[in-house]
Amino acid sequence: MNWPGFLALNGAWLFTLLAPLIIFYFLKLRRPRMEIPSLALWRSVLNDRRVNAPFQKFKRNLLLLLQVLLLVCLALAAMQPFWPSGADRARYLPILIDTSASMAALDTAGGKSRLDAAKEEIRQLIDNLLPDQKLSLIAVSSTARRLTDFTDNKRILRDALEQVEITPVVSRLEDALRMTQALARTVQIETVVLYTDGNVPAEIDFELPFQLNYQKLPSAGQNIGITAINARRSGERWDIFVRIDGSKEAQMTAGVQLLHNGKPADDEVISLEPGQSQRIVFHVDAEGAAALEVRLKPDAFDSLASDNVVYLDLPVSRPLTVYCPPDLTSYRHALGGLAEITLFPDEEGKSTASSYDLLISDRKSDAAIDAAVAMFVGVVPEDLSKLVKVDSGSAEVIDWQRSAPLLQHVLLTDVQIAEQPVSAEGAGDRDYEELGYEILAQGRAGPLILKRDDSGRPTFYLLFHTDRSTLPFRVGFPILVNNAVQLAQQQAGLSEARGQSTGLLASRILKPDTGYRITDPDGKTTDARSNAEGLLAGVPAPGVGRYTISEGGRDAASVGVSLLASSESSLASVDRLQFREVGVGAASTMLKSDRPLWPLFAIFGFVLLLVEWWYFQRRPSGMPTP
Amino acid sequence: MSEQAAVAQFTKLLENATLSRLERMRINPRRRLTNRSRGEHQSGKGGSSTEFVDYRDYSPGDDMRYVDWNIFSRLERPFIKLYRHEEEMHVVIIVDASSSMQFDDKFERARQLAAAFGLMGLMNVERVSAYACNHQGKEPLLFPPCTGRISRRRLFDFLETIPAGGDFPIDQAVDAVLRRHRGRGIVILLSDFLTFGDFQRPLNLLFSAGLEIFAVQILIPTELNPELTGDLRFVDCESGQTLDVSSAGDLLGIYHEHRLALEEELGILCRQRSGRFLSISSQDSLDWVLFDLLRRKGWVR
Repeated sequence: MNWPGFLALNGAWLFTLLAPLIIFYFLKLRRPRMEIPSLALWRSVLNDRRVNAPFQKFKRNLLLLLQVLLLVCLALAAMQPFWPSGADRARYLPILIDTSASMAALDTAGGKSRLDAAKEEIRQLIDNLLPDQKLSLIAVSSTARRLTDFTDNKRILRDALEQVEITPVVSRLEDALRMTQALARTVQIETVVLYTDGNVPAEIDFELPFQLNYQKLPSAGQNIGITAINARRSGERWDIFVRIDGSKEAQMTAGVQLLHNGKPADDEVISLEPGQSQRIVFHVDAEGAAALEVRLKPDAFDSLASDNVVYLDLPVSRPLTVYCPPDLTSYRHALGGLAEITLFPDEEGKSTASSYDLLISDRKSDAAIDAAVAMFVGVVPEDLSKLVKVDSGSAEVIDWQRSAPLLQHVLLTDVQIAEQPVSAEGAGDRDYEELGYEILAQGRAGPLILKRDDSGRPTFYLLFHTDRSTLPFRVGFPILVNNAVQLAQQQAGLSEARGQSTGLLASRILKPDTGYRITDPDGKTTDARSNAEGLLAGVPAPGVGRYTISEGGRDAASVGVSLLASSESSLASVDRLQFREVGVGAASTMLKSDRPLWPLFAIFGFVLLLVEWWYFQRRPSGMPTP
Repeated sequence: MSEQAAVAQFTKLLENATLSRLERMRINPRRRLTNRSRGEHQSGKGGSSTEFVDYRDYSPGDDMRYVDWNIFSRLERPFIKLYRHEEEMHVVIIVDASSSMQFDDKFERARQLAAAFGLMGLMNVERVSAYACNHQGKEPLLFPPCTGRISRRRLFDFLETIPAGGDFPIDQAVDAVLRRHRGRGIVILLSDFLTFGDFQRPLNLLFSAGLEIFAVQILIPTELNPELTGDLRFVDCESGQTLDVSSAGDLLGIYHEHRLALEEELGILCRQRSGRFLSISSQDSLDWVLFDLLRRKGWVR
């Protein structure tokens, strides 16, 4: 059984006022004398009352009792009593509020969202906040945002809570937990409360230094949404692939409409079994750049609206420009068999393009050529000259990243290499990584293939020359070249296009060192500047809709951003969060907070005052009516 | 009232107009309680008045003057004519003059009513006597029995000069009065009846003394509707005893119940003895009490 606690025991000194109260009461008992004709009636009245009133002794000093009760109420209220909830009472309590896309899901048509439900719970926590408790509100989406410092100011907390809005992105808890871990260095944090609908990753790469109270909100209603959209070039047309997922609650039917540059182009009707997904393919002519919009119109209640529209921007179609020196005959030969490629230098030895989509070269000097994707063969970068050198001898591939885009389906086993890149003594993988290189293939003495990403432009280094290996004679060689071409096509956006999901705008190459203004779907603007290479990156895109990138009032680009998160659209929830070492289950009951009792005592005292006033001012019963 | 007008008044107790109206009224007793002495009340027995009542057979020894000779001439049998005997009624007025009657104009109203009843008695040739009871253990002040219009002045003078104050309870005052009083008739009790004593005994004494009881309880507004709150110490004006009362406002309901119960008890005690009881407020109009209330109740006619 829980007993009430007191936060301000020093308020008990008010009980000492009982002594003067009683003294003054009895001093006051020098009653006013009143001469009356006869005591006969009054004596019989008193005798009657003593006989009939069961608590006549109590009533005789009722005024004193009321005053004592009133003083006791005031003293108890001053001592700030509270009724403990049974849970450990934390002095500093961070509240993590999931604001990801799934929190916007409604329970019923016109009902409340998960975020509204969370706000109701948190509002109760704020209302029941005890004087020595401080809360800090932290909004959690794909990142974390601290809404308030640790404060016991209920007005600030309520205002901050009201301003919490949904961010239609995928939820990730790591940032918020790390932020809370950082807060724990300044104040003692024992418990952290997380309010979420459970639509979060089940496994979290974080070591919990505190106790996590996982408050899982009730599930939302049924949902259907578009979770992926991409396009692939197929000859003179684009194939548009749209993936639609349904939640597990019920079978749903919806109409899917494709808008091509704002005009309806196609539509379909789909019916999804509970928990199933379906892929729809639309076809669009590849005439030029196009802005596609796919809208989903469910026939029944749909709890989440943000996943019912997606955008896709199709680039202008053109051949891929590839620069490959004439002496790399194996590569030129392999490139010659591929379609939609313009190879430089041409047969006349001219290179008319100022930049290329793909550069394949065995010359260090060609590093100055502007190319979106570059692959150097037999070239050791200058900054690696101290880490690796190429010796004579033979080398073989020990291991390679089979999932790397360049090496997909390329079999490097038994490839004989007549050169041997050797790492300097004591040099390890970490040294390459610190310089920005990723090892794609590893030899016995050192790395064989490296990748470096310069401002979104991948550059591959084959530290051995392929002409001095058996690779050109292997089946994997044309595949390697084809992979490089596909990478270049992807980089140029020529072969396929993917929908842009919320979070950050995909980095893009624009004018170097130029200021741009990005206008989001709500009309809010953000200023950003491209770097020396013209890369514009790190622009936040928290909402679903079309973003406009303008330079000096002139539109430079337009990007459609969609939710595109099957995890959010499915509204699936996890009952247990697995951290590195421990797992945290969802609390079976909503978080109970210590309930302050002083308002009750204050109200009771006020009622006592009213009763006292009424008792002594009321018209006695039995009075004859005039 | 100007001094000249006051001088013109026959008495300070009642206005002349009220006196003139009262002179035409008479007390209306229920019972025929008269005395042997000749008066204006017809007795049940035969008498010598001029009002014929009946005949009866002549008996030897009867006064021959009452034989109806006309009947004798026709029937040749003597019959005696019987006449109604008229006796006088004694009107006894007992005025409670103790200290409890000094509050507000309670005593003034008692003296006015005493004057009114006394005047009605005198004007109807009754024997009227009055007693004023002040101090316990002392004899009540007496206005000796007298009759006739000529006694008005003396009666009014007696009532006007009654000293107020004392501790004579009304129940014991009745005892003292009956020790001196002789004669049947009616007794008019003018008091607030707020005493610790038992009223059964004095009323029985009055009844057995052949006096029809006309009891008038006179209360002041603060007794009828007291407006009291808080803790008080009541002091009895007669005995000086005190009584502490807490939350007096809360007791007012019970007070009213007891006051009404006292009225009810007094009324029952009086009716059981063929008497009458009336409770009035000292603030009630005198004219309304005399000419409306008492008439409607059948006390006077």
